[in-house]
Amino acid sequence: MNQFSYVRPASLKAAIDAVAKDNTARFIAGGTNLLDLMKSGVVIPEKLVDINRLPLKDIQLNGNTLHIGALALNSELAAHELVTTHHPLLSQALLAGASQQLRNMATVGGNMMQRTRCTYFYDTTMPCNKRSPNSGCGAIGGINRMHAIFGSSESCIAVHPSDMCVALAALDATVLVSGPKGNRRIPFTDFHRLPGNTPQLDNNLAKGELITAVEIPANAYTKNVYYLKVRDRASYAFALVSVAAALDISNNVIRSARLAMGGVAHKPWRLYEAEKALAGKAPTEENFRDAANIALQSAKAYQHNRFKTGLSVNSIQTALLKAASV
Amino acid sequence: MKKQQTGQSMDRVDGRLKVTGGAKYFADHHLPDLLYAALVCSPISNGTIKSINTTKVLRAPGVQDVVSHLNAPPVPGYKNSDPNAKDGLKIFKDNRIYSNGQPVAIVMANTMERAVYAASLVEVQYNQETHYTEMNANMGKAFQNNRMKDYTRGEADAWKKAPVTIDATYSLPLEVHNPMELAGIIAHWDTPDSLVVYAKTQGVKNVQDTIKRLFQLPEQNITVHSQFVGGGFGMALRVWPLEIATILAAKKVRKPVKLVITRDQMFTLVGYRPAAVQQLSLGATADGKLTGITHEAVAVTSPYEDFTEGIVAMSKFMYACPNVNTRYKLVPLNISTPIWMRGPGEATGAFALESAIDELSYKLNMDPLELRILNHADTDPEKNLPFSSKYLREAYQLGAEKIGWSNRKATPRSMQEDGMLVGYGMSSGTFGAFRGKATVSATLKADGTLILQSAAADIGPGTATAMVQIAADVTGIAPAKIKFMLGESAYPFAPQQGGSSTVSTLGSAVTDACKALQQKLTDLAINHVPAFKNAAPETITFEDGQLQRAGQSEKISYEAILQQQQLPEVNVVATSQSGEERKKYSMYSFSVHFTKVHVHPATGVVRIKHIVSVADAGTIVNAKTARSQMIGGVVGGIGMALTEEAVMDHRFGRFVNNNYADYHVPVNADTPPTDVYFINKKDPYINPMGSKGMGEIALIGFAAAVSNAVYHATGKRIRDLPITPDKVLDEKVYQLETKNKMNS
Amino acid sequence: MPQENDQQNHPQKKEKHEARRDFLKQSSAMMALALTPPLVMKAAQHDEAIAGIFEKMPVSMEINGKKVQVTVEPRVTLLDLLREQLDLTGTKKGCDHGQCGACTVHVNGHRINSCLTLAVMQEGKKITTIEGLANGEQLHPVQEAFIKHDGFQCGYCTPGQIMSAVACIREGHAGSPEEIREFMSGNICRCGAYDNIVHAIMDVKQGGKTV
Repeated sequence: MNQFSYVRPASLKAAIDAVAKDNTARFIAGGTNLLDLMKSGVVIPEKLVDINRLPLKDIQLNGNTLHIGALALNSELAAHELVTTHHPLLSQALLAGASQQLRNMATVGGNMMQRTRCTYFYDTTMPCNKRSPNSGCGAIGGINRMHAIFGSSESCIAVHPSDMCVALAALDATVLVSGPKGNRRIPFTDFHRLPGNTPQLDNNLAKGELITAVEIPANAYTKNVYYLKVRDRASYAFALVSVAAALDISNNVIRSARLAMGGVAHKPWRLYEAEKALAGKAPTEENFRDAANIALQSAKAYQHNRFKTGLSVNSIQTALLKAASV
Repeated sequence: MKKQQTGQSMDRVDGRLKVTGGAKYFADHHLPDLLYAALVCSPISNGTIKSINTTKVLRAPGVQDVVSHLNAPPVPGYKNSDPNAKDGLKIFKDNRIYSNGQPVAIVMANTMERAVYAASLVEVQYNQETHYTEMNANMGKAFQNNRMKDYTRGEADAWKKAPVTIDATYSLPLEVHNPMELAGIIAHWDTPDSLVVYAKTQGVKNVQDTIKRLFQLPEQNITVHSQFVGGGFGMALRVWPLEIATILAAKKVRKPVKLVITRDQMFTLVGYRPAAVQQLSLGATADGKLTGITHEAVAVTSPYEDFTEGIVAMSKFMYACPNVNTRYKLVPLNISTPIWMRGPGEATGAFALESAIDELSYKLNMDPLELRILNHADTDPEKNLPFSSKYLREAYQLGAEKIGWSNRKATPRSMQEDGMLVGYGMSSGTFGAFRGKATVSATLKADGTLILQSAAADIGPGTATAMVQIAADVTGIAPAKIKFMLGESAYPFAPQQGGSSTVSTLGSAVTDACKALQQKLTDLAINHVPAFKNAAPETITFEDGQLQRAGQSEKISYEAILQQQQLPEVNVVATSQSGEERKKYSMYSFSVHFTKVHVHPATGVVRIKHIVSVADAGTIVNAKTARSQMIGGVVGGIGMALTEEAVMDHRFGRFVNNNYADYHVPVNADTPPTDVYFINKKDPYINPMGSKGMGEIALIGFAAAVSNAVYHATGKRIRDLPITPDKVLDEKVYQLETKNKMNS
Repeated sequence: MPQENDQQNHPQKKEKHEARRDFLKQSSAMMALALTPPLVMKAAQHDEAIAGIFEKMPVSMEINGKKVQVTVEPRVTLLDLLREQLDLTGTKKGCDHGQCGACTVHVNGHRINSCLTLAVMQEGKKITTIEGLANGEQLHPVQEAFIKHDGFQCGYCTPGQIMSAVACIREGHAGSPEEIREFMSGNICRCGAYDNIVHAIMDVKQGGKTV
């Protein structure tokens, strides 16, 4: 790692100022991804602004909305009664990610900010448009078994590695942000970006903006939910594909459905068309299969990840069956 | 009489040190004025170094020096070598780059952080040449090494004439040992011609010998410490260029230097299991008697060394078959040199042979267990010798009973539970039961404690624990009063810990040293202790640390003899090795593995639900550590079967999953309850204990037991490891592709 | 929560060394164009001499019940502080990237990977390493169980496994062998002692001793 300076501002404003006014400064929370990237020479900040002691850890109900402070730890959130009771899908997704040690360090905000695991991004001797714009994409024409089948571009086919974010995308969460120009709210599904021709931009935060909280509105997805993660080993591995499935079933009719996937796109990938197709239908294997097939219509595979299309259909169907307890 | 120690589940003698953090591995040592080192490694895969610019580095705070081929101290041993000989990478000898990740310079600084960062400041320019790293694209370069000649027994390719045949290709990817402990060394020249190193090694004497040869120093000028080793699995069976680089760096700066390499460097600097493609062909009669086996293998090696191992060995003797022929070739690529990895080539070969046998069983409509028993080799058909001991039949039967083999329905894809496809699979494994030469020093102290010393290693199996048990049984001294010391080059010679031979080799030397000690005590008693005066030596017995004369009640303790003679200690040194018995018998350990798997039909995910492994490894010295050996080999086998593969982007010659997150070593959740059984019958010939080896057979064959179970569960035969979900998934799901746009 | 999306958008302003850094970064990007590894390696990184102006920082924490005050460069990880400066070498480095668990320690009672946190971030924290687990000569029940069930071979991952196992029980994640296997999956054991580790943890859990 390069040498850098380290500050621990006492207030949110001071922290935002420290980063907004210094182009070489970065926020650090859990550090599980940032330090990893710094050790690999992928990110080279000259100043770290430690926000861990800011009062952004609260997990509480504001009316019917669950408010999750950006510094809430992944492990705390997964085990929190408000989450296991009202949003069990989020708890399942959190526990599918990383290890308990990492979940004890990683924060909600940091999880959202984590960068792709694409090997070409991590290896500084390789071309990568995300790390080094206009250097080319190593994964297209390279080893792309882990890469995107949705929303990729000619400059980047990397995927977002989070599990938590897949559940938050499905649950219509909102991101609360503070920055030099004040506060704003961003729908979760608009927070992360598709690569387009600016793959260096993972998300829509402006310089100096800091995630302060995530909010999940009340919903009916407390019972028929399932997070399915398919991976190369039983635990402690990134997803080949993952599916967050949430159903509101009444009298054997799906009133509404929420579906999102991980490991398939540059951002958590919400399956709106499939959700629409499920509304008003019976929770049957056939209807789930149809919805899954609809979801994959826009898929585009690469040399080594062709299997992801079929695996995705099967995984969506499986997650829905599990969610519906059929 | 005291209970027999051999066979007991004694706790490890170093267990307390290991659970308290007190065990010191090489990198845990601190020396005064220690410098930290970091390597600069080549990002190109073939070519030469054009220039190295260290201006910026040397200006950086705390940096001491940068050593490369431009300024490294001479290595006298390099000069004697034939420039055309394929005898290894001579680090910092010249500007040639043979493979990606090859070290080109080593940077030293006064803190680790500074060294690591400074290494990133070294500017190296290269002349890049075309590299060749893809095995399948370079099959035309395959050649045969003299060590591995074609083998034919009976008629070659006889399988072709058989009524029932199997002819299939099996491939294994490159696997990396990846012990938890990162490789490296601490090197300290305490005088200009004497060197002390703290090493990660499976044999301190091998390190000493390599340094002696390269630096042309007297043996006594080289001290190697290696008390604790954080796993090896074969990668620490040689001294690697990174260690020589550090020794050279330390020589140049005349200070102690510590290098600990990074996890990604573990993929390119310390060997690997070579990728291999194997053609396995079987011929059998309609009732299942094997009539022909042909096994051809091609494996990768480096441009500068021909690495060979026993890939085709098992096919020659495992089954009673009159016609067997084998062929083994190497493909040189721009990659570093492989090294034996647990189970080594035999594990590679066993995957092919034991999968093919399974395939044959389905073609014959015969139970795979029955087919194996039908073709059981009662004597060694390769060497034409009787086996020194072989309880493979018993192992098959015991394993089958414990896994519930009788529950298995013969038809593939016919069993289900909890929405999962269920499969049962089995395989067998074998590995030579060796015995080398070792020397042990035994010192009895006047307080009755026994100190044993030998330059052996313990990379995990529990060497010292087993040796204490063996010594306790020979001498009658309580284990708590026996200490076995290893990991020091100053101790008498012991071979490397490899090839499942430590208990056999070292245990024999311990036995002989303890017997020599008894002889000396007997002599002392006969000559000096009145009650034993003029006794015939054979009338004296040893029990509970005491001598007793047959028919007499008087006893004398070992320490009393020493005290009476005012001796502070009695020392003997004994060397032990095998004799004529190895010419009369064929010596092998055997294992059988049974697995029950679940396959999720929608996602192709395989989970092993139950494992039963049975070992015919002769006498078991320590039932507890022996079980650990077996379950450990099985976990290695799970990795080979389901998860492990070092993937390279051949455009660059670089591995793309060179870390623990993407190279999937099995984690706890990958492992099911594992039941281990030992036949535990003494081999009457191999050594005094009757113990054969176990470290390799724990893994050998296991991958086939999994792939065979996956076939039984799904009806899909996977001959290309590892068995990841994408390979298991039903092809039908790929039909979607035609509906979707496909990009290559 | 690092934010670095707009690195390319604000190249101007500021002092000499930063401008130079931007230049080097661009040149490195151009070299990567040819789909071959850049021939001048790592040129993008700025001169250590410049970075050397950054001061070491004081940090105080409690390690194994003892107050510790040290001065460290901010880039020093907790793991490297323990091992290289405080001679607490029981905690091991297996990957340095949070991918193996060998460096697991407790910070304020929670198990974490000490390789992925900075020493300076531990100000005022209570840290327990493997050296602080036993009560004098009396081993912790999990340490005893690891010996009894042979929950290791080479012993290198063992300190991390034990620290993780203690936390696993305390968290309430040791209810069944399956749960233990999942919640101990952040600790790789290449010797493959997992089955014995599960037995050791179950034994402690069922023994009912306070952990």
